[in-house]
Amino acid sequence: MNVYFNVKVTNVKRDSLVKMKMADGPVILRRNRPGTKAKDFCRWPDEAFEEMDSTLAVQQYIQQLIRRDPANIDLILKMPDAQDEGVWKYEHLRQFCMELNGLAVRLQNECHPETCIQMTATEQWIFLCAAHKTPKECPAIDYTRHTLDGAACLLNSNKYFPSRVSIKESSVAKLGSVCRRVYRIFSHAYFHHRSIFDEFENETYLCRRFTQFVTKYNLMSKDNLIVPIWEEENAPGESEA
Amino acid sequence: MKTTGDDTLLRLVMEDTSVVQNGAQLGLQGGPAPNVKPNEENNTKAQYSIPGILHFIQHEWARFELERSQWEVDRAELQARIAFLQGERKGQENLKSDLVRRIKMLEYALKQERAKFHKLKYGVELQQGDMKPPQLDDSNIDTQLDSDQSYTSVTKATWKQGRQLLRQYLQEIGYTDRIIDVRSNRVRTLLGLNNNAEQDENVTSGQVNGNESNKRASETQGRRTPAKKTQPSCLTEAMMFDTEAAVMANLDFLSSADVDMEDDDDMSDDVELEATDELEDDVKAIKRRGKIDNMGDDVDAEAMEVLNELNLLSETENQHQDMKDAGDWKGLNFQSGGPGRRPLALNDDENIDTGLGLGELAQLTVNNDAETSYDISSSKEAFRKTWGAKYTLRSHFDGVRALCFHPTEPVLITASEDHTLKLWNLQKTVPAKKSASLDVEPLYTFRSHNGPVLCLAISGSGEHCYSGGLDGKIHCWTVPNSNIDPYDLFEPDVLNATLQGHTDSVWGLAELHSQQKLLSCAADGTVKLWAPHSKMPLLNTFTSDQDGIPSSVDFVRDEGNRIVAAYNSSNCIIFDTETAKPLVRLDSGVNNKQINRVVCHPTLSLTITAHEDRHIRYWDNNTGKMVHSMVAHLDAVTSLAVDPNGLYLLSGSHDCSIRLWNLDNKTCVQEITAHRKKFDESILDVAFHPSRPYIASAGADGLAKVFV
Repeated sequence: MNVYFNVKVTNVKRDSLVKMKMADGPVILRRNRPGTKAKDFCRWPDEAFEEMDSTLAVQQYIQQLIRRDPANIDLILKMPDAQDEGVWKYEHLRQFCMELNGLAVRLQNECHPETCIQMTATEQWIFLCAAHKTPKECPAIDYTRHTLDGAACLLNSNKYFPSRVSIKESSVAKLGSVCRRVYRIFSHAYFHHRSIFDEFENETYLCRRFTQFVTKYNLMSKDNLIVPIWEEENAPGESEA
Repeated sequence: MKTTGDDTLLRLVMEDTSVVQNGAQLGLQGGPAPNVKPNEENNTKAQYSIPGILHFIQHEWARFELERSQWEVDRAELQARIAFLQGERKGQENLKSDLVRRIKMLEYALKQERAKFHKLKYGVELQQGDMKPPQLDDSNIDTQLDSDQSYTSVTKATWKQGRQLLRQYLQEIGYTDRIIDVRSNRVRTLLGLNNNAEQDENVTSGQVNGNESNKRASETQGRRTPAKKTQPSCLTEAMMFDTEAAVMANLDFLSSADVDMEDDDDMSDDVELEATDELEDDVKAIKRRGKIDNMGDDVDAEAMEVLNELNLLSETENQHQDMKDAGDWKGLNFQSGGPGRRPLALNDDENIDTGLGLGELAQLTVNNDAETSYDISSSKEAFRKTWGAKYTLRSHFDGVRALCFHPTEPVLITASEDHTLKLWNLQKTVPAKKSASLDVEPLYTFRSHNGPVLCLAISGSGEHCYSGGLDGKIHCWTVPNSNIDPYDLFEPDVLNATLQGHTDSVWGLAELHSQQKLLSCAADGTVKLWAPHSKMPLLNTFTSDQDGIPSSVDFVRDEGNRIVAAYNSSNCIIFDTETAKPLVRLDSGVNNKQINRVVCHPTLSLTITAHEDRHIRYWDNNTGKMVHSMVAHLDAVTSLAVDPNGLYLLSGSHDCSIRLWNLDNKTCVQEITAHRKKFDESILDVAFHPSRPYIASAGADGLAKVFV
């Protein structure tokens, strides 16, 4: 917290210097200008959700919370008052799919079509890739890529999600199936590439957040949540909180 | 001229009266005659006395004279009627040609719309009988392209002359006023402004109030108007009335459409700019479609009928007229886009038309202009190309940081903060349901960066592309075939190589096609030159301690062994690639004008920089002096691109707009609002296609847009 505060102050100074000429007073411009160092990327003072007047306010707010502390899942998933729940769920799912790219990148190095010829988690199910006209048994890495690509297309589809400010009820219903599919990436990584999963999870807390998210908004049935992360992490999670 | 006609009639009447006077004189002369008569009656068995004969002859002569003058009057009347009819016919033909033109335009617009709809719905071109724009339209555009001001003014002058001549003829015949009255009344009827009763009233009251001194003339006119209403006298007239009736049936719709069109025209400038704004776009598209639909339902069949009928009538005479009109349009269209075009057009038409009292008709013409300019602005052959949003590339989850076009194909690659790059083929669009812009689905997603991807470059062959990320890595990719199946199997060798060397986020990449060299700059303060496909890729490193962190780099295009690096201290340095020594320093003299982008002109010795302080600055590469500086946007300028011919500059800014600049006179040619804000960022990159007419913008809202 202390460190963060320091950063905040220096940022204010830097931004105000740049902005001084253009406006009266120290207006904070939240920008990643070319030349920004990686550690300074998006490190600007938080903006209150009420003050965000952009159409992308929900995304901004979620990303801001994640950047502040990815482990504080309760806060990240706490919906602001008077927020449309459909949009809230939608923006969270976008963020999940986006961050899952990180897991996919790691899997690419280890999960080869020769070794993981099917998308499996436990031995119980073989998942068929829904990206094709007739669902087929893609190798795990292709399943992962296709599922993420398909989710990106669906979540950005002008037909189902033309606006990021209000979302039709029928489109909100589509979120559940996206959740179900992308969850299999977690489960495959957990059961077959455990080291990658752990490394990724320790950095991002993504699977825990995802599990809590789908549970909170009832987007997946509990039976499908096969990664035992919740029980495992429950104890330290509580102590952290 | 009225007085002439009146004079003639007056003279005739004078003759009449003089005849009567003669008669009276005769009577007076005859007065003494009876006195004489009894005297002579006796001795005149032969009852013919000289005075009697004289009297008789005089009497007869007077009678003949009277009749003759009556005939004269009748003749004049008939002549007047002929003139009137001719004038009326002319008026009808003008109006008719207007309507024909209008119908043709609407029909053409409908066809186009249908074709577009069909294409969007089924993805194939609709085979329609004749998808040519109306003939006069064609010639209009063609001539418009190579017409110049003087030519236009000449045609306008001749057109004006023609009208004057016509007016003179009408004046000579002497029936202008009445013609004008009746014509304007008829026009009004056609426009459905007055009902018939009112019109008749107008006609009669006009005559009562008018300073018609000749009662007979007014009588005949009074007689004529109703007669005409009920009984068309000849075949052509009958036909004209039929068509008129048919046209009248449609006219209410047409005139309401005109109002819309007029609105469109008023807005057209705005609309062009806002076309990219989706809301506006959708609304407009819907509006237009609604209009077209209406037309399709209500008018199409009828319009065809009328059109055929009118074509028969108008073919011969109207061609000439059309030519003239086309000339007129040309004059007006030429000024399209310029401020005050509308008032000018109105004035012109008013000048010409009010003389003939064709208030409504004048408006019709103006509406026509509105239509054509609308058509032309949407056609690609416009005098000055205006860009409009065509493709929306949505699939990124977060802001798109960079984009670049394939050197030859309609293909582009985008790099995003969502850690991925995506490949798009503009020929593979998803049928969109309503908006005018097409959606494109990505063909391939490049995953390897472990963080936001910040910059992008493509090789001259389009075979490879390079991306730099926040993770400090530069990846070299083999660009997959542009017809790849989006859900194909994973091929690890798409990632060709990774250039490691930078220790912080890579913010700028540039490729020199001729030498296959890659230039990068990073937040670690270094600029590096690479030969990406060789075993020892790193060729050289350039630093400038006093200037801080480089924000953007480019090759000096006219001198292959030089590079330019922009620093966030607001200076640029031109380095020699062999010695890594700074050669020229582009010093703005003031600090804190962070440069967001630097580009070099493809042929000139010119460097252009985009600054955080809203400026775009131009520099001479040899002297290092600033050539020009301008406030280019309302907010920080983030990105620049020069078109392959070096004529235009494209700039993007956090003010949500992209602007196109004429490099010759440094004026803004077009502004397009393209993206929404995320935090305080909006547009992050812009690009020209190297060989095709596409421009593109990338936004913090996660979208990329392509304009044609």
